[in-house]
Amino acid sequence: MNTTTPQYDVVIVGAGVSGAMMAKQLGLAGKKVLILEAGARIPPNNNEFMQRFYMGVAKVPEIPYTPEIFTPSGSLELTNPATLNAGRPNTMTLDASSWQDPNKAYMIQQGPLPFSSTYERIAGGTMRHWLGTSLRNVPNDFKMKTTYGKFVDWPLSYDDIEPWYEKAEWEIGVSADKAQQAYLGITFAPNYQYPMKPIPPSLVDVAVTKAVTGQSFEGIPLVVTETPAGRNSQPYQNRRPCAGNTNCIPICPIQAKYDPSITLNMALDTGNVTILAQTVASEIIVDDNDLVSQINYIQYDDILGPATGKGSVTAKRYVLAAHAIETPKLCFMSTNNGRTPNGVANSSGQMGRNLMDHPLYLAWAQAPEPVFGFRGPLATSGIESMRDGSFRSDRAAFRIEIGNEGWNFSIGDPWTTTLDFINGMNVSQLNPPPAGSSASPALWGPDLVTALNKGFSHQFRLGFLVEQSPEESNYVTLSKTEFDHLGLPRPQIVYDLSQYTRAGFVAAKQTADAIFNLMGATQFTTPPAANDPSAFDVVIDGKPDRLKFFGAGHIVGTYRMGDDSKTSVVDANQRSWDHKNLFLVGSGNFCTVATANPTLTIAALALKAAATVLEDLG
Amino acid sequence: MSTPTPITPLQSFVNLSALLTGIDASKLAPSVDPKNIKQVYFDYALKQAGAAFEQLLSIFNANSSKPPAEIANIIFNQSGTDICFLARSVMLMWYLGSWYAPGALQKAGTNTPPPDSVVISAAAYTQGWSWNVAQAHPMGYSNFQFGYWASNPPLLSDFVGDAGK
Repeated sequence: MNTTTPQYDVVIVGAGVSGAMMAKQLGLAGKKVLILEAGARIPPNNNEFMQRFYMGVAKVPEIPYTPEIFTPSGSLELTNPATLNAGRPNTMTLDASSWQDPNKAYMIQQGPLPFSSTYERIAGGTMRHWLGTSLRNVPNDFKMKTTYGKFVDWPLSYDDIEPWYEKAEWEIGVSADKAQQAYLGITFAPNYQYPMKPIPPSLVDVAVTKAVTGQSFEGIPLVVTETPAGRNSQPYQNRRPCAGNTNCIPICPIQAKYDPSITLNMALDTGNVTILAQTVASEIIVDDNDLVSQINYIQYDDILGPATGKGSVTAKRYVLAAHAIETPKLCFMSTNNGRTPNGVANSSGQMGRNLMDHPLYLAWAQAPEPVFGFRGPLATSGIESMRDGSFRSDRAAFRIEIGNEGWNFSIGDPWTTTLDFINGMNVSQLNPPPAGSSASPALWGPDLVTALNKGFSHQFRLGFLVEQSPEESNYVTLSKTEFDHLGLPRPQIVYDLSQYTRAGFVAAKQTADAIFNLMGATQFTTPPAANDPSAFDVVIDGKPDRLKFFGAGHIVGTYRMGDDSKTSVVDANQRSWDHKNLFLVGSGNFCTVATANPTLTIAALALKAAATVLEDLG
Repeated sequence: MSTPTPITPLQSFVNLSALLTGIDASKLAPSVDPKNIKQVYFDYALKQAGAAFEQLLSIFNANSSKPPAEIANIIFNQSGTDICFLARSVMLMWYLGSWYAPGALQKAGTNTPPPDSVVISAAAYTQGWSWNVAQAHPMGYSNFQFGYWASNPPLLSDFVGDAGK
């Protein structure tokens, strides 16, 4: 019986950036919207998040938002994800002893390599702990097949998405200078201006710029560019300018960095948007006309407690905005008594496939002169000139992020080096044993201050975001054996890095070595531990080497857009080919991961999808 | 003839801490000290280490008129490993706002993973001296203003006092 009027104009699954952006636009247009959010609602303020950050021994990106990472025992014992109602991966479960242990890691990782990025299930989404980098894709990112004969073209071009980039930049509040961002074919409308002036470069940026300007690597010029940032350089949207807390990840204490809770609150303020938190969408029901007719959900009060209710909701249009792993998971769970045996929106068989990230190569060094890290936003500039070029026919491109946080990401400083000098250790390699001794010195008094100051003030790092190739063989599916506390299957992942991606990774390492040489910097990058699963063997200049990769937190590609229903999940409007009243938004619909941090493109596409849904609704 | 005012255990703790950390006592325990982190650390160390902590203060008091290097040598090399590693725990408390138990420090090898620790309090994290010695601020706790990162920081001595020279 589907004769009753739908309860809402639109139901959105997921209150992250895509869901929030769409809800605001729809709410402003007077449409009635319900958001189903698997995790907690937005708290009245960030005090509890900050308290968790300050008190956390492991200050991982998830720590403010996921109090259940560890058991309440006070030790670092990981919570069994089978006991959580809305489980999620965290960076504490990527080591050799955890990544394939279903009692520790939420995702069931089949290898051969670990998928090393994590996501949140909370109002505000994973972007709660984004860095703020708001780069546009370059035009060739949308036409890799046409330009380089690689992968697929997107069903839209840079020119198609350009107006939506503008809107996204104003919604987020991006600080940048248009003239500096017009590289590698990126264009702007003649009268367009970013909403705010750029963020000043750091002293680290200045040191790198001085060394590489006019230089090139394998014929590609090394050009440092200020990074467009979703952080305020002046008051914007009732939020303060950045005070350089150097804590964009995991949390900006003054919310000078945009996060989706800002847009979500504006959506709620329209009076047309309602959110049901701690409400996990569990099944998408499709009717005989291949239209979605309702979404079922399960509710809970306590993330470790029992389910407290079940329900369903109907709408004229349905939007899945649960990010690139939970969205396919929900589609797979929705088999409609065998009518959609491979899951909703999956007649192409592409659902869950082409899982991508930016495998990140991290390199760190001591600069010849102090560069004074641990100051300013986590990153203020990057080398963007290597994001495109004819080399993309043969190997992955990358962008280079210049870090302002010393060796915090690299080795866990200032903790590690402080322990080294006080307790006579040498994990940082800054406190080697003196000649003729096997023990590293333990310092005190003025010598300690001098050694620590010298070590810290010269520290800096480079992060290389490598473009991963889309591969059908990297995919998300449902675990048949592991479930969450609501009885829903947990995501199972098969993941590897292709030769194309690995070749780009090698080029990243070689570029890092070249930049450090140009700077006269002393490199301290350490090889991965022998049992580190996030590493692979390579041969560089005839010599065997082993390189570690990190997840960039950029989860992309599992329900790709396309112009052919046989090879893609959604069309250029992000509408399901199979179910005309269903939209799948977020980075899952990217055809390629390109090299830009994905958020701005996610936001632009969500705003574009909102316009399509509004057109539909009339 | 005036007799010197007897020094309180807390003052003694601050003086010992200044000697070990290399940071001026006037910075560790400023005259206007709303956070009063010295008392937090004193109480914490006393609770964790009890008699050994009292012994560490006694050793310092008994030798406080000697040159700093001599006092340090007595604490680190002539008073047993319990006192040596407890002194390091005290230093780490000031530098990182966290408690590393002396036993855990003693077990740590040159290149082993970091010993277990606990953050003493949110205020302790925000008062960590490692950040100041880096001429910076605790991550997530900046009292600087927009754009400060484009200029050189204040001098190291502005952060730690003259002891750091």
